[in-house]
Amino acid sequence: MLSVEALTVRADGVELVREVSFGIAPGERVGLIGESGSGKSLTALSLMGLLPEGVSATGSATLQDQPLLGVPDKRVKGLRGRVVSMVFQEPMTALNPTMRVGAQVSEVMTLHGVPRAEARERALDLLGRVGVEAPRAYPHQLSGGQRQRVMLAIALANEPSLLICDEPTTALDVTVQKQMLELIVELAPAVLFITHDLAVVASVCSRVLVMYGGRVVESGPLREVFTNPRHRYTEGLLAASKLTPRGTRLPIIPGAVPSRFPSGCPFRDRCAHASPACESDPALTGEGHAYACWHPRD
Amino acid sequence: MPTPAGTPVIEARDLTRVYRASRFKPGVEALRGVSLDIGRGERFGIVGESGSGKSTLLRLLCGLDRPTSGSVRFEGREITGLGERQLRFLRDDLQIVFQDPMSSLDPRMRVRDIVAEPLVALGRPVGDRVAQLLTEVGLPASAADRYPHQFSGGQRQRIAIARALAPNPKVLVADEPVSALDVSVRGQILNLLADLIDTHGLTLVFVSHDLSVVRHVCESVAVMHRGVVVERGLVDDVWSRPQHDYTRTLLQAVPTLEGLL
Amino acid sequence: MRGNLVIGAVLVGLTVVAALVSFVWTPHDPTLVDAAHRLAPPGGDYLLGTDKFGRDTLSQLMVGARTTLYVGIVAVGIAAVIGTPLGMLAGMTPRGWLSELIMRVNDLVFAFPALLLAVMLGAVYGAGTLTAMIAIGVATVPAFARIARAATMQVMVTDYIMAARAAGRRGPAIALRHVLPNIGSMLIVQASVSFAIAILAEAALSFLGFGTRPPTPSWGRMLQEAQELLFSTPRLALWPGLAIALAVLGFNLLGDGLRDHLDPKLRRIRAER
Repeated sequence: MLSVEALTVRADGVELVREVSFGIAPGERVGLIGESGSGKSLTALSLMGLLPEGVSATGSATLQDQPLLGVPDKRVKGLRGRVVSMVFQEPMTALNPTMRVGAQVSEVMTLHGVPRAEARERALDLLGRVGVEAPRAYPHQLSGGQRQRVMLAIALANEPSLLICDEPTTALDVTVQKQMLELIVELAPAVLFITHDLAVVASVCSRVLVMYGGRVVESGPLREVFTNPRHRYTEGLLAASKLTPRGTRLPIIPGAVPSRFPSGCPFRDRCAHASPACESDPALTGEGHAYACWHPRD
Repeated sequence: MPTPAGTPVIEARDLTRVYRASRFKPGVEALRGVSLDIGRGERFGIVGESGSGKSTLLRLLCGLDRPTSGSVRFEGREITGLGERQLRFLRDDLQIVFQDPMSSLDPRMRVRDIVAEPLVALGRPVGDRVAQLLTEVGLPASAADRYPHQFSGGQRQRIAIARALAPNPKVLVADEPVSALDVSVRGQILNLLADLIDTHGLTLVFVSHDLSVVRHVCESVAVMHRGVVVERGLVDDVWSRPQHDYTRTLLQAVPTLEGLL
Repeated sequence: MRGNLVIGAVLVGLTVVAALVSFVWTPHDPTLVDAAHRLAPPGGDYLLGTDKFGRDTLSQLMVGARTTLYVGIVAVGIAAVIGTPLGMLAGMTPRGWLSELIMRVNDLVFAFPALLLAVMLGAVYGAGTLTAMIAIGVATVPAFARIARAATMQVMVTDYIMAARAAGRRGPAIALRHVLPNIGSMLIVQASVSFAIAILAEAALSFLGFGTRPPTPSWGRMLQEAQELLFSTPRLALWPGLAIALAVLGFNLLGDGLRDHLDPKLRRIRAER
C-alpha cells in the first residue's frame, strides 16, 4: 500500500536521510525507531510533504498508487489529511486555541468536501470514539491526553489509509499514554509509528525499522529484531533500554549521537566492533530481517 | 543498605501548597498535607505523574517556594519562611539537577560561569575548581570556554551536574534528570550519578515519573498522586507488592520490553 | 525578511554618516544668511538649492540629521535607563504591590500624549531641544517598562533562573547576570522602534515651535519655514519631509529586521513554512 524507495532528504548538500526504502501493507503497524538526529522525523515529514524550507527529498514514495514525492504542492495538500494524516508530539500547539474542538474535527472534513451537517455528525461520533465527550470545549479546557485524543480524531476524520504518529505519547503521562496507544491500535488503519521508546514501539507495532545517522540500519519483524538484534547499534540500544538491578552499572553506548556522522557505517565511531572494513558502506541485506553491518551479532 | 541514622537530613511536616490565580478565586491545592523524612545517605525516590504535586514538593524541599502551611527542616533547622540571605546554609549543602538541561543552563553564559555560579554566589573562591569539576563529570576542561548550545543533551546534563557539585553539597536533588535524554545517553548519566553519590557520600532525592528508573537508582520511594503521598516504602516492596490502587495502575501502565517480548 | 534588516540598516547608516560628516564638512555654512543667493534652484553650487534666507538646504539637512539623532539618542536613552529597571523590577515580583504601583503609574504616563507633555514642559521651562528630549524620553518610558516586564516574566519562569536561585543567587545578581542579557535583544528592538517615534516627535515639536530653536537646523523647523512657500517652492518642504520619512522608515525596518533576526522562535516558524 505504502511503498518508499530510496528516499533521500538533503539540506544544504548534506544528506540527512539516505536511501531509505520500506513498505507498509494495509492494516500493518510499522515502528520507526531512532534517537534524536537519526532522521526519523524528517522521513515522516517528507511523506507528508511538510519538509521545512531549504530541505528537499528525492526518491519515490507512493501511497495506494498515488505519488507523494516530486509532485506539486497542491496535489500533496489534497492527499494530506485525506489519504495520509499525522499526529504530532505536542498536542497544545497543533490545535487552534480559539476554536471549539468539535468544530476543528468537522472542519477537516468540510475542507475535503464533506457536507457541513454530515461532518458535524461524524465529528461527534469520532470524538465519542476517542473518548472526548466535550465537543464544545476549547483546547485549553482539556488535559494533554484529551487534546491528543482530539488530534487523533482530526487525523482519522477523513478515514485515511495511513496514519503517521510522531512521538504521539512522549509528552503524556504513562497512564494516559497507555490509553492513547490502545486507541491508536484500535482505530487506526495502517500506522507508521515514530518513537525513541523501544517499549512503546513494542506495544504497538509488529514490524520495526531502526534508524541511525539517516539510514535504516536494521529492519524486520519486531519480536525477531528485539530478541535477536544483528546490528551493533540495535544491540546497544536494546541493552541501554533495559534497567538492571540497583547497584549494578547500566550498559551504555559510548559517546553521543554526533552532529556529523562518519563516512561508511554511521555507527562506527561509537561501535566496539568497528574495523577498517566499516569505512565502506554496509548494504542493508537480508530477507525479512535485514541489517546493514559488517560485524553483525551472531 | 544505609539505614537512616540519627536525625533525618530532610524532614517535611504536613506540607500544603495552594496556588491562587487571584485573591478572589479559590486556589488549586497542589499539595495536601505531605510529610516525609529523608535520612542521611539515603537514595530517596519521589514518583508521580504531572499534577501529582511532586514538582511543588521538590521546590518546597529546596527552599525555592514557601508552603501555605507546614514546615521543612534541613538537618534539624527550619527553612520555611527564611529569606534568601538566611538560606545560605541550605544552598551550601543542597543542590539541584533539573530535568531539561537545555533550559536549565543560561544560553548567554559560558560553561565556566555556569559551573562557577554557586561558588560565586556563595562568595567562595573559584580557582581551578571548574576544570576539576568538568573532569569529574567526564568533560574536557576546554569545555569551560564554550556555550551550552554547543553541547549535546547528555553533555549539557553533565554540565548541570558539575554546577550542582560545585559547592560540595551533602544532598543532591535530581528532578527527572534523564527523561529529556536519548536512551543511549540515559545510562551514562545514571552511571555518573551513581559514581558521584558513592565518591561524595551524597544523599539523593530523585524525582521521576518512571518507577522503573527509580527502582534502579533508589532504595526508598514515595508515590504521589493528586497532592498526597499514597504509598511509601522500600522500592522493591512497592514494586513487587503495591498496596495502593494508584500504584498498581502506574505499574501496569509502564510498558517494559521484558513484559512485551 | 532579511531585506528589512538591510534596507533599515542602510537608511539609518545614511543618516548617521550625514550627521558625522557634518561635524567636519558641509557644502556651505548651514546658518549663513546670504541674500544674494535667496531661493537658488537645485544644481550647481547648491545641490539641493537654498531657502528664502539663502541658506544651503543640503548643509541644513546634514546638520539637522545631527539634531535628529541627538534627540533620538537622548530620548531613547532616558526611556531605556528609567524604563528597563522599572520593568525588570515589576517582572521579577509580578504579584507584589511595587509591581502593581509601577505598572499603574506606567499606564498613567502611557495615556498621556507625548506632544502634550512636551508642549506643557515647554510652556513651563521654555521651549528647546533639551525640553523636547526630556519630554519625549519620559513619554517613551512606559514602552520600555512594558517590554522589559513582559520579557522578564518569560525569563523568570525558565529553569535556569530556578537553578540560579538554587545556587544561592539573590535578586540583583539574577537581574544583572541572567535577566538583562536574555532580554537584551528585545530591548534593542524596542529602542530602534522608539527611535523612529522620537524622530517624528522632535520634528513635530520643532514644526510647532516647541522644539529645537533657531538658528540650530532641524528637519521639523525646516518644514515649518517651508510652509509659507509651499506652493511657490515646494522643494523646500520636500527635502526635510523626505529626510524625516526615510529616517523613520529606516529605524522601523531596522527594528522589524532585528526582531526577526534575534527572535529564535520567529526564525523557527519561518524555517517551518
